Amino acid sequence: MLNVLIAGIGGQGSVLAAKILAAAAQARGWKVRTAETIGMAQRGGNVTSHVRMGDAGEEVHAPLIARGTADCIVALEPGEAVRALPYLAPDGLLVCARTAIPSVETTLSGEPYEAEPLLAYLEGAAPHFLAVDEAAICEEVGSRKVANLVMLASAVAASNGTSFGLRGAIGTDELVRAMEACVKPAFVALNRAAIDTAIARVGAPSVN
Amino acid sequence: MRSTLLMGNEAFAWAALEAGVNVVAGYPGTPSSELVETVAKLHAAGVAHDVYVEWSDNEKAALELLVGASASGARGLFTCKQMGLNVAADALLSANYVGVRGGLVLFVADDPGPISSQTEQDTRRFANFAKVPVLDPWNPESGADMMRHAFEVSETWHTPVIVRPTTRVNHASTFFDVPSETHARPVPEGGFEKDPKWVIFPRRSYAAHGEINDRLHEIASEEAAGSFNPLYAYAGEECAPADAGAAPLGIVCGGVSGAYAREAIEMLIARGAQLPAFDFLQVGTPFPFPVRRARAFAAGKTDVLVFEELDHVIEDDLLMLAGRDKLSYRVHGKLDGSTLARGENSVEDCARRIARFLGVTDALPEEPAPDPAAPQAPARPPVLCAGCPHRGAFYAVKRALRGKKNVLCGDIGCYTLGNAKPLEAVDTCLCMGAGITMAQGVAVAEPGTKAVAFIGDSTFFASGMTGVANAVYNQHDITIVVLDNSTTAMTGGQPHPGIGRTLMGPVSDPIRIEAVLEGLGVTCIEHANPLYLKESLAAARRAVDFEGPSALIFRSPCTQIVRPEPRAVVDDDACVGCRVCVEAIGCPAMTMSADGSKMIVDAATCYGCGLCVDVCPHGAISAAVRTEGRVPFAGKAGE
Repeated sequence: MLNVLIAGIGGQGSVLAAKILAAAAQARGWKVRTAETIGMAQRGGNVTSHVRMGDAGEEVHAPLIARGTADCIVALEPGEAVRALPYLAPDGLLVCARTAIPSVETTLSGEPYEAEPLLAYLEGAAPHFLAVDEAAICEEVGSRKVANLVMLASAVAASNGTSFGLRGAIGTDELVRAMEACVKPAFVALNRAAIDTAIARVGAPSVN
Repeated sequence: MRSTLLMGNEAFAWAALEAGVNVVAGYPGTPSSELVETVAKLHAAGVAHDVYVEWSDNEKAALELLVGASASGARGLFTCKQMGLNVAADALLSANYVGVRGGLVLFVADDPGPISSQTEQDTRRFANFAKVPVLDPWNPESGADMMRHAFEVSETWHTPVIVRPTTRVNHASTFFDVPSETHARPVPEGGFEKDPKWVIFPRRSYAAHGEINDRLHEIASEEAAGSFNPLYAYAGEECAPADAGAAPLGIVCGGVSGAYAREAIEMLIARGAQLPAFDFLQVGTPFPFPVRRARAFAAGKTDVLVFEELDHVIEDDLLMLAGRDKLSYRVHGKLDGSTLARGENSVEDCARRIARFLGVTDALPEEPAPDPAAPQAPARPPVLCAGCPHRGAFYAVKRALRGKKNVLCGDIGCYTLGNAKPLEAVDTCLCMGAGITMAQGVAVAEPGTKAVAFIGDSTFFASGMTGVANAVYNQHDITIVVLDNSTTAMTGGQPHPGIGRTLMGPVSDPIRIEAVLEGLGVTCIEHANPLYLKESLAAARRAVDFEGPSALIFRSPCTQIVRPEPRAVVDDDACVGCRVCVEAIGCPAMTMSADGSKMIVDAATCYGCGLCVDVCPHGAISAAVRTEGRVPFAGKAGE
């Protein structure tokens, strides 16, 4: 079983990221189930998408990932990575966006809300960890809306040739094909650029 | 046929279309809304032929329309969330007595948790109360099969049938083969046939009650033999379908809990647990209870563990069976604290309880100790979006009420989020339309307290109008604030009677909220664009100062249906970091710089609505809409 949890904030595109992973898994002939947070939480609240892939040909029963069993967490925001961390498997990979996004509550509290202490903690707490400067990649590509694809591609790159995370089970080509099947034709080029730039940046992964 | 990733609700829609459904009607509500939207989308795309689909004004209207269509021989599908069935209850209970002609299926989505609902009510219970069969899927695939089956059961027995998924089935996705097109079944020649049976009278109801009792008995018997109550025998690492139970231990599940429990069992096996033999029963037709199947399962049992969400429905039936058959098994579930009495079940929770039940707790993974060094994840409750018109409306009304004792009665929709800091503008929220009538109760009980009701445009049409009539009729001193953002925002932007657009494409004349209020006798009707503080404050003062029922309509579109304006800009030389803007309106696009000396507008979040320009006491914020003297979002419809 290959479990991927996508954690973020309503509006960041976690649902599309889950769809793309599901399409990649389907192309491999695996059973796949996904589950989403839909409803009130989408109004700027914290949201998760669960993707469960039967990569050994097995049946997938539950739509949700159990705590402690996510092979890979793709976090679109550091605070959301902290919230999702209990889901990570003992040998799991956490790929985390570097940009902290304040909530109305953190702003009202008057305390600064910063990424660095969160990232420092996550680096020590996650068995395998990669922080991605997704804002820089998005700027290079020219859209902040593709952070979801930047992070997904980073997870693919970081797992390449490894036995953890996505375990090399989904490669760049498969990610690209799945993306092309899931986004509107007008946005294929932009998302392709997001994937390519992220893969180039992460390159030979410096995952600890 | 092509393989497509479908969300549960999309799969339910396809299944109903494949069953030849003629008429689909419902009212939006999470987690049910995507079914109607899928039918509308497939109809518009030329895939679903000859089907009629609508968002009705409310659930009662939808169900009554469908009862009429069914009497004419059409297959009808009703959709709502669990509380929606409360609204349609009157129609359902009577329709069951009158009976149906064309298959009538009610798709009612329950919400354990609850995640997006006011109650944890259980539609299986409701089905029992209404004496209507209910099917309870454990994943989208079983749900799609049940949807097709439900139309057959409905027509065979002339009964409405409920299909009741829960959130984790509605919003879970997997791959399905879908046809290239679907066709509604032709409505029988001649249509409606005049017959006294369509007129409900006491004598007819007495006879019908007997027919209902008889058919429930027959349906229970048929479903017990069908595929929706699968039974498995587990022995060692093997799991095989079985016709009868053999082991002394058994696990019984309803809905998605069955998927959690099976996953938990496989997890325990994978972790090396030596499981004793046991039987596993999934109850997919909880009412009428498949007694024969349960009896086959229960033979020789000493202990049974039951996993179900919301109420202890299966548990009750197993206890009744034990009493009736004088069986000696013990039932472990919600009633004796063996399973969770409320909220959602999970794989983790099922694993712990199954391991205890089967005596294999050694195989459980160790619970990781909480890390004392772990930072706190930020509080991130849902909030009103940047640019949301409700923010300015709440802020203006609260300002207008300063110094007056007041109670702010909210309602169901995005604007319930006005309860959060810093607005704190929702004192009550009960059920659809209750704000207007609760305010009247406050006004009666506490003369001198200003009771203000907030209601969205869609909720106004769904269930606000009778409350307005009551206020006028009984001359209650309240102010009704209509938050008109031109959509049903919380559930994803569905049209409603005030929009004019329908799911079938043609545009009807929108019903004007002003005309409704005038027609119902409200004489004080104020207007304001909530993105302009000064005009909003003045209108709010006029409305709340009026004695008797008054209304105030705030009108500006939901940001989800318009494109953004150029974002607001902070003049760093003028901003003194006073935090007044942040603490007044709490827009998610506003944050403070790391040293707290300046407000920062987040470029990606800001919608350029301009409200913060009015709130800043130092003139430090500017927005293009204000500089250019334009009304924000006018003529900027998106999509």
